[in-house]
Amino acid sequence: MNYRSLDWTRRNASPLELDLVEHYAAGKISRRDFVRRGVVLGIGATTLSSVIAACGGSGGSDGAVAAGRDTDTDTDTDSGSTDTDSGSTDTDTDTAAPAGQDGGVIVISTQPTSTGLDPVNMLDFAVYAHIAQTIEYLVGVGPDGNISPEAGLSTGWTPNDTLDVWTFDLRQGVKWHDGSDFTSADVAASMDRLVEAENAGLDGVIEAGSTDSSDPSKAVIQLINPNGNFPVLVSMFNSQSGITPADYELGTLLNERPVGTGPFMLTDYSEGEGLANFVRNPDWWGGTTPLDGVQIRQFEAIETQVAGVLSGDVDMIVDFDVLSGESLLESSEVTVLEPPSTAHRQVWFNTSNPNSQFTDVRLRKAMALIVDRPQLIEALYRGKAVLANDHPVISSLPFYDPDAVPQRVQDIEAAKALMAEAGVDELTTVCNVGDNQEIPQMAQLMASMARAAGINITVETTPQANFYSDSWCPDSGEGELTCFNSDEFGIVDWGNRPTPDVFLTSALQSDAVWNASVYANDEYDKLVTDYQGSADVEAQKNAIGKIQAHLHENVPALYCNFRNYLGAYGPGVTGAQVTALGQPIVSRASRV
Amino acid sequence: MRSYLLRRLALALVTLAILIVVIFILSVVVPGDTSKILTPRGTDAQLEATRIRIGFYDPWYEKFGTLLKDIVTFDFGKSFATEGSVRDIVFPAALRSALLVGVSLIVVVPISVAGGVIAGRNRDSLFDRAIVTVGLASASIPDFVTAVILQFILAIKLGWFEALASAPADASIFEQLWRLALPVMVILIVYFGYIARITRAGVIEAYESDYVRTAYMKGLPESTVVRRHVLRNALQPAVAVIGTQIGFMMGGLLALEVVFDYKGIGNVILGAALKLDPPVLQASILLIAIVFMVATLIADLVIAWMNPRQRLGGSQ
Repeated sequence: MNYRSLDWTRRNASPLELDLVEHYAAGKISRRDFVRRGVVLGIGATTLSSVIAACGGSGGSDGAVAAGRDTDTDTDTDSGSTDTDSGSTDTDTDTAAPAGQDGGVIVISTQPTSTGLDPVNMLDFAVYAHIAQTIEYLVGVGPDGNISPEAGLSTGWTPNDTLDVWTFDLRQGVKWHDGSDFTSADVAASMDRLVEAENAGLDGVIEAGSTDSSDPSKAVIQLINPNGNFPVLVSMFNSQSGITPADYELGTLLNERPVGTGPFMLTDYSEGEGLANFVRNPDWWGGTTPLDGVQIRQFEAIETQVAGVLSGDVDMIVDFDVLSGESLLESSEVTVLEPPSTAHRQVWFNTSNPNSQFTDVRLRKAMALIVDRPQLIEALYRGKAVLANDHPVISSLPFYDPDAVPQRVQDIEAAKALMAEAGVDELTTVCNVGDNQEIPQMAQLMASMARAAGINITVETTPQANFYSDSWCPDSGEGELTCFNSDEFGIVDWGNRPTPDVFLTSALQSDAVWNASVYANDEYDKLVTDYQGSADVEAQKNAIGKIQAHLHENVPALYCNFRNYLGAYGPGVTGAQVTALGQPIVSRASRV
Repeated sequence: MRSYLLRRLALALVTLAILIVVIFILSVVVPGDTSKILTPRGTDAQLEATRIRIGFYDPWYEKFGTLLKDIVTFDFGKSFATEGSVRDIVFPAALRSALLVGVSLIVVVPISVAGGVIAGRNRDSLFDRAIVTVGLASASIPDFVTAVILQFILAIKLGWFEALASAPADASIFEQLWRLALPVMVILIVYFGYIARITRAGVIEAYESDYVRTAYMKGLPESTVVRRHVLRNALQPAVAVIGTQIGFMMGGLLALEVVFDYKGIGNVILGAALKLDPPVLQASILLIAIVFMVATLIADLVIAWMNPRQRLGGSQ
């Protein structure tokens, strides 16, 4: 260990940075987690590299650190996808990526959109894919699939010591597609707009007027409470938090006002044909894209998307499941992308509506005990998934507490005992799901597992376009909690977030915007507030451990696994990347 | 013939009127307040604005009047879901469906009819039995199953055909037609047996009839007997079936549209139904209904031309 170099860093580090450095130096967190957490806190690549080098890591260049690539052999076997694969590189390490050529258009396939191209109110991956070509975020995503100061509208960020004021240095020379300049006024207006729209990730985190834009080159954001993960909440991983022009009106669709700062500009969009065309932005701050443009095509069936990639009609598929895409996984000509992912299927129970049977925690626990999780992972994901334990905190996170609760396993007898305690001999319920990839099969599998415990589950599948409004979170009446009328039992898809904040807040906090479980628990709410305000790694771990235990015990929802996110592109292109939220990043892609 | 035509037209108009009422009830009255579907997660103000935009508060007779005006002027206004022109959504999709149906008919009808005629002419022969058996089997397989199998084998594995039927915007007519090869193949497989067997039955009946026996006894050549007596009578059921199937095929090929990603009217109807978009739904269904009525009218007229007894009401 190079103590001299390390001491220099220690002397110049803030208390938060010092805490992180000490944890890494003591070997309490992996190098990958050190880099990820360091980036979130705004620590520069040079500092990260020097610490790694000082601690004896085979660090490598600044570029490698910024990209977050692990050049050592440390792999976390629990995470499966998050350690070994980056968002953009070929998973076949024996062959080099083919050289690309300038020009041409990439054809990307998505599922049908469920809403218009509304950058603030969008809900599904298909719309995310469109918006991601044109709208950018304060914090972007680097080639390794993690947030990066090199890929967004800010070039760096710094928190104050109490983590409730974050200063973002804005990239200079950025222009909107209409030629006007990007400034902090746009950031301020965007933040206010997100507050007005009750953005899922920022709800309760910031309030209107919280952004100081007096300096056009800096956006200083005051938070309601301390939050150590704030940069993630204004990144591409909070899809709706894209930066729009200061005079943008809420509810405006991208095709009505195709103005962004991104590498591609929308030229036409036909919702009837499910077709969108984008052309290169010649004034993009990131330089000239190799591709002339992008075409996004919507397909009703995932199988047709797969056929399109295999036949060459489609260059890239942004999201597929193992069952539908086996031929892609087996093809030697297709490059499969597995970006870091905490994506999962949340099995919610309506815990508050008196019409729901699952207001009784004993019945929810019984449902949790009927699931054979390893079997489910093997049957639906062919092993391409990570075991979960009824909370949305993946084991690969640096603050995950492995000792918080034992792993829940299938126990039919215990399930029966809980049902008997609740005075129920046989339970009959309906599981509502959207027609989305393997989710209907997941529900059917759970139904077959549940029969042994005397639980009869009927699976009802709704077209995906209607599912969110019909089943998952229908409108509530006056005075009712948000999502009060959600179906008593269902399964919904959640895309990747690098930190669990959105999963813990928007999905489960009282009256939160996406709380289909209608979970209203003061103790839980406080635990989440404590976590978000935790400054150092130990405090976060302590807070998260309590959350893990609380959710495991009260089961407002089941979390059986985190699925490895899968995207792919065919032999006609190279260099394409996708986030685990279905956002294709093709600004560096090219045709072969 | 003229009076027959007028009678048929009058019947068609009555049918159309009834259909308009049914469509109005199903697409406007039944769905109720669709503002939440059209503006998911909208604020109360946004929902109210949506309701005003779609005329939710208008009385039913005003809505019906709007529908009638739209039909007469052939302008169905704007989609509730996208606010795009309904004409721009529906008509291009209808044209694509019409192209697929038209090309399919050009391929399917001659092959099926020829197969049926040969089978009927050579009743109980090996060919006849093959036609009947294969036709029955192929018609029994759901069209989407056939579609997926053909796509996988002929397009993906062998690369002989295009997997997707949608052509780029700048594609030539030849490429557009080439891309329809697999969907047309599926339609041929599905419909061949049906049309061939009906034709076969008609041919058998014709050959067993007195008028054909008389024609032979008069010494007419085989070709004349077949052309003027057999086919004229044998094909009437087939013509009737083809006429009705045209209307069905226009809007009923959704499975093929999904498998081959062909943006036809079936897809439009599905999307409009899911999003409870009455203007698009009304326009699409009416268009298909009109196609159906025109196709059956033409079929009836052809049959009337082939069979004078039809147009004379059975009188001698």
